[in-house]
Amino acid sequence: MSRVGTFLKQYWMFVALGFLLVYPLIWRAPYYHVLGFNTLIVATAATGWNILGGYTGYKSLGHSTFFGINAYLVAITANELGWNPLWSAPLLALGVTVVALVLGWIMARAKGSAFVIATIAMLLIFRLLALNVKSVTGGAPGLSQPLAPWSPEYSRMPFYYYMLFWLVIALLVSAYIRRSRFGLGLLAIRDDEGKANMVGVNTTLSKVLAFGVSAYFIALGGGIWSYAQTHIAPIFAFSILNDVDTVLATMLGGLGTLWGPVLGAFILIPGSDYILFNFGASQFHLAVFGVLMVVIILFLPRGILPSLRDRLAARRETSSAFTGASTMEDLSDSQPRGEVPGREAPAP
Amino acid sequence: MSTVLQTEGLVKHFGGIVAVDSCTIDVEQGDITGLIGPNGSGKTTLFNLITGVYRPDSGRVSILGRKATGLESHKICHLGLSRTFQITRLFWELTVLENMIVPVRKVGLRPLFGPGMLGDELDRAMELLARVGLTHLKDERADNLSFGQQKLLEFAAVLMAKPDVVLLDEPAGGVNPTMIRFIMDLIRSLNAEGVTFLVVEHNMSMIMELSDRVIVMDQGRTIADGTPAEVQNNPLVLEAYLGS
Ligand SMILES: Nc1ncnc2c1ncn2[C@@H]1O[C@H](COP(=O)(O)OP(=O)(O)OP(=O)(O)O)[C@@H](O)[C@H]1O
Ligand SMILES: [Mg+2]
Repeated sequence: MSRVGTFLKQYWMFVALGFLLVYPLIWRAPYYHVLGFNTLIVATAATGWNILGGYTGYKSLGHSTFFGINAYLVAITANELGWNPLWSAPLLALGVTVVALVLGWIMARAKGSAFVIATIAMLLIFRLLALNVKSVTGGAPGLSQPLAPWSPEYSRMPFYYYMLFWLVIALLVSAYIRRSRFGLGLLAIRDDEGKANMVGVNTTLSKVLAFGVSAYFIALGGGIWSYAQTHIAPIFAFSILNDVDTVLATMLGGLGTLWGPVLGAFILIPGSDYILFNFGASQFHLAVFGVLMVVIILFLPRGILPSLRDRLAARRETSSAFTGASTMEDLSDSQPRGEVPGREAPAP
Repeated sequence: MSTVLQTEGLVKHFGGIVAVDSCTIDVEQGDITGLIGPNGSGKTTLFNLITGVYRPDSGRVSILGRKATGLESHKICHLGLSRTFQITRLFWELTVLENMIVPVRKVGLRPLFGPGMLGDELDRAMELLARVGLTHLKDERADNLSFGQQKLLEFAAVLMAKPDVVLLDEPAGGVNPTMIRFIMDLIRSLNAEGVTFLVVEHNMSMIMELSDRVIVMDQGRTIADGTPAEVQNNPLVLEAYLGS
């Protein structure tokens, strides 16, 4: 491997972070700042969503409920109490997490497709509420809130850096959970929930907590999105398309992996923006999303990162076979694979 | 001696059929108790009722003197009773070592959010893996193991929850004679260390050799209960196996 390759392999995280830090300074047009900001929101949301959908396997299609709730909370508290969204968004997202814990406790009873449908129903209910409780939400036309105080020439740059900070936090939380006993329990639930319960994992509690944590990062994005938009309406705040972005990004990059959701978001959002830009403001990108979903499911069912990892592992195995580096131990490790009863090696 | 597991009048229906029919058993501390019966006699269903997979239609379960009827499975595990499954169940996408770390007797909030692999548990896991000869496979995914290795891993993993009582559902099902010997020795040595066993098994020579006491089920009821010798000569048992 070249020297650059080795360097990238060791320090790619810092290279990527460095790039994201200078990106808005190099690409200075507001368009790029908006695009970067939107991508970061989805990357953060997907990283959060993955803690539930990827680690436990419970795939919610209604988590933008929490995006929407916090978008409204931030707008309302900015208007009525003068709260600054930069601190109220993460704070109010904690409140939204409490709501999510209660809703998650109800949802956790459902499994498989029943769970997915229940989460969609949850989203539709909250959207209906946002449309109809006009005294609070302003109904279908929505709500406006004060503009950010910085001069328009900076455009979304501060929002961009703000979201970048939260993406880093989300990744730290996700990595921490993955290494904790709690996270191991989540992965066990994904593999066999009944068995996890049998060996002492409180599966209901684990699922509800994962539901809440994932809701936090989605709610946070909603709050900041609300501030950046200055005007929000129910059809955008409570939209299943937000969930589609999140889920598709996660599945594209690698469900249940730490970096997959981020990678997926950085491909998906600029990609769909490119399509939108080149093919006009039609619904064409939605069709592309649909096709992409099918392609992922058919050809990359586990997403980019796990497939890459497998490919690399396979390459390493063949190359070590050529150099004759494998020992007897290696061979015996890779041989037995789900065999017929009675044919296994004798017990030691 | 004290009773560590007791069921009283357990009943479970599936639609029209009665899988377990007012079943009363008790398991004494320190014993290896065999549980035998023809196919479909309700042994696995009894395990499922004890371990919270199903709620009994009626009857009671108590574990180590505590009321355990209809508790969730993880609470049963926390009380000190673990089990294996007739068809091996593992966390297939996790590694062998991770499969060992998941089972837990009781965990407070701090360890729950601490690192998954703490020193003590890791040592214990490696010790148990060495005991069943799987040390060299610790980083292998569970679904890459052979059938026999998977059975051993499931057995070793439930011990990580430090159970007082272990229910084994056909530990020798589908494994070769060498492995059966190995599993019998493992059960015996764990028993000597104080673990109580209730073992379902169709391998008669194994169960008769291993058990201090044998309970026989037929059509959801216990029809005999005694030493291996007593049970083998019981006409009711012969009838159940050869019978009708
Ligand atoms: N989930 C279920 N739904 C319907 N019927 C069931 C279910 N589980 C068990 N049964 C029925 O209950 C009866 C007892 O089954 P069980 O599996 O407990 O028997 P067993 O003694 O474990 O048999 P084996 O020795 O073959 O494992 C059988 O008639 C079985 O078909
Ligand atoms: Mg059975």
